[in-house]
Amino acid sequence: MSGLRSFVARRLLLGVAQTVAVVLLVFALTEALPGDAAVALAGDQPDPARIAAIREAMQLDRPVHERLADWAIGLLHGDFGTSLASGRPVGQYIADGFGPTLLLAALTVALLVPIGFGLGVLAARHEGGLVDRLVSSVTLAVYAVPEFALGVLLVTVFALKLGWLPPTAVGYGTDLLAHPAALVLPILVLLSRPVCSLVRLVRAGMVDALASPYVAHARRYGLADARVRYLHALPGAVAPAAQQLARTVDWLLCGVIVVEALYVIPGLGTVLLNAVAERDVPVVQGLAVVFGVLTVVLNLGADVVARRFAPRAGVAA
Amino acid sequence: MTAGTVTEAGTAAAAGRRRTGRFALGVAVIAVPLVLALLGPVFAGEPGPRTASFTLGDGHWLGTDFVGRDVWRQVLHGGRPVVLTALGAGALAYLVALPVGLAAALTHRRWLEELLMRPLDVLIAVPSLLLILLVASVFSPGAIGLALLVALVNVPDAARLVRAAATEAAARPVVEALRLQGESWWRVAVGYVGRSILRTLGADAGTRLTGVLYLVATAAFLGVGVAPDAADWAVMVDRNRTGLFVQPWAVVVPALLIVALTTGTNLLFDAALEKPGGRRGRKERRA
Repeated sequence: MSGLRSFVARRLLLGVAQTVAVVLLVFALTEALPGDAAVALAGDQPDPARIAAIREAMQLDRPVHERLADWAIGLLHGDFGTSLASGRPVGQYIADGFGPTLLLAALTVALLVPIGFGLGVLAARHEGGLVDRLVSSVTLAVYAVPEFALGVLLVTVFALKLGWLPPTAVGYGTDLLAHPAALVLPILVLLSRPVCSLVRLVRAGMVDALASPYVAHARRYGLADARVRYLHALPGAVAPAAQQLARTVDWLLCGVIVVEALYVIPGLGTVLLNAVAERDVPVVQGLAVVFGVLTVVLNLGADVVARRFAPRAGVAA
Repeated sequence: MTAGTVTEAGTAAAAGRRRTGRFALGVAVIAVPLVLALLGPVFAGEPGPRTASFTLGDGHWLGTDFVGRDVWRQVLHGGRPVVLTALGAGALAYLVALPVGLAAALTHRRWLEELLMRPLDVLIAVPSLLLILLVASVFSPGAIGLALLVALVNVPDAARLVRAAATEAAARPVVEALRLQGESWWRVAVGYVGRSILRTLGADAGTRLTGVLYLVATAAFLGVGVAPDAADWAVMVDRNRTGLFVQPWAVVVPALLIVALTTGTNLLFDAALEKPGGRRGRKERRA
């Protein structure tokens, strides 16, 4: 058990280092601007008043380390700075976009885990059979497809040809739960890649586990098939899958940005894309820190879970 | 004993047939987008005059796009940037990852290994699309910039893989013998270790190329690294979305081509990399 504890400690340390690095990287971005950052950010409207306003808002006259310290301390207090475009606090942008994105992510993960494990176990039970080949081929094919291409094709079929579902979430505002029909296509598209990879991993893990000596031993004791499958074999398949689930965080994030753009959902992804288009650096930075820290924390959690289920596996620390 | 061998040979033959079938399927799926991407620009011809946007027929085989250009001509031109940027990014990623991973695996200086690998552990924490969007918000990268970014995102994972594979190879007695013989570092690193990790790299190249294609297309769809009216399948999907209900071909055709390209790549590599004997055979032999 002390092995696990020291592993967790080392992993936590890496997580802290990663968080600090994310914050530094995001901050370094404005420093990387060629020439005068304010002129560069003013872009298409380089009138002196706007340049002065940007310089004022980002406090570009002060030395770098002071700005970094201020910004980092602000982050600790939940103060993300103010937007260049509107002058509103960045925290407000994040609060506005948080609901829809959280809803999308929560629904996706809630469906992802049962579907991924269910299909994976199903395919492993019928290894080599028709069901297995069908599941394996479909997951292999869909695994690589970019969300936007799949999403646009689904819209063409289900909204344009069949007219079953609305093509976008335009006009529904942030209260998407009241309009479940508008959520079907986005969730379906968000699920496509993570489900495929999870199914493949669970299947591979289960096939290995079911062929292992300890499962054969459990069978010889005459334990019920279902009991062997779910209580003895499945935990062995969880470790690689938990790692992948963390990988999925990265994909979900990419997916959320694309899906929100595609279905016009007013979440964090849309806020981020708008800020990128307007070169609204403080908003981009704030969102990048939120997303980056979220990824670090979820990866950490997944590593610890994976370690817990497979204490002998050499999980990278 | 004989019965066992016969069934084993039978399943091996069936697996072989299935593998050939999957290979053929992969080739069939990828052929259309790949041929269009590589040879399309040759057959595209001169641009015709612009007409009304989102019309159907009228001499335009697939109608016109959001600024009144012929969609078929855009399709012929639009594959090359996707494929070339992805190939370039993939090659660049390995160009950096290989020396870094090899050096980290073969050095005996602990600090050098830490110096090479620790920054990558940190970089791996940043979501790939987020990093690309972050840079895009400050600079306006072109196609080359996008290839560099996608390569950068792929370096940490690839370098880790190279290091892991090379560490394993470098621990073999052969390497010790080569060193005792006084072979040069270069000959050991490239001649032996480099060659013995090629198989692992080949397996990784398939998944990596699929991931790179995904990122390049997605970034282009979000407007990173491309002109707003570029002839690029991903850009076509994005820009022609407004006319989806009037003129779906301008969206559906490039979207289908991207799906075929990515799916085909995945199927092809999966079939090509599967060992003919299957994985179980090897394990049994080892035991």
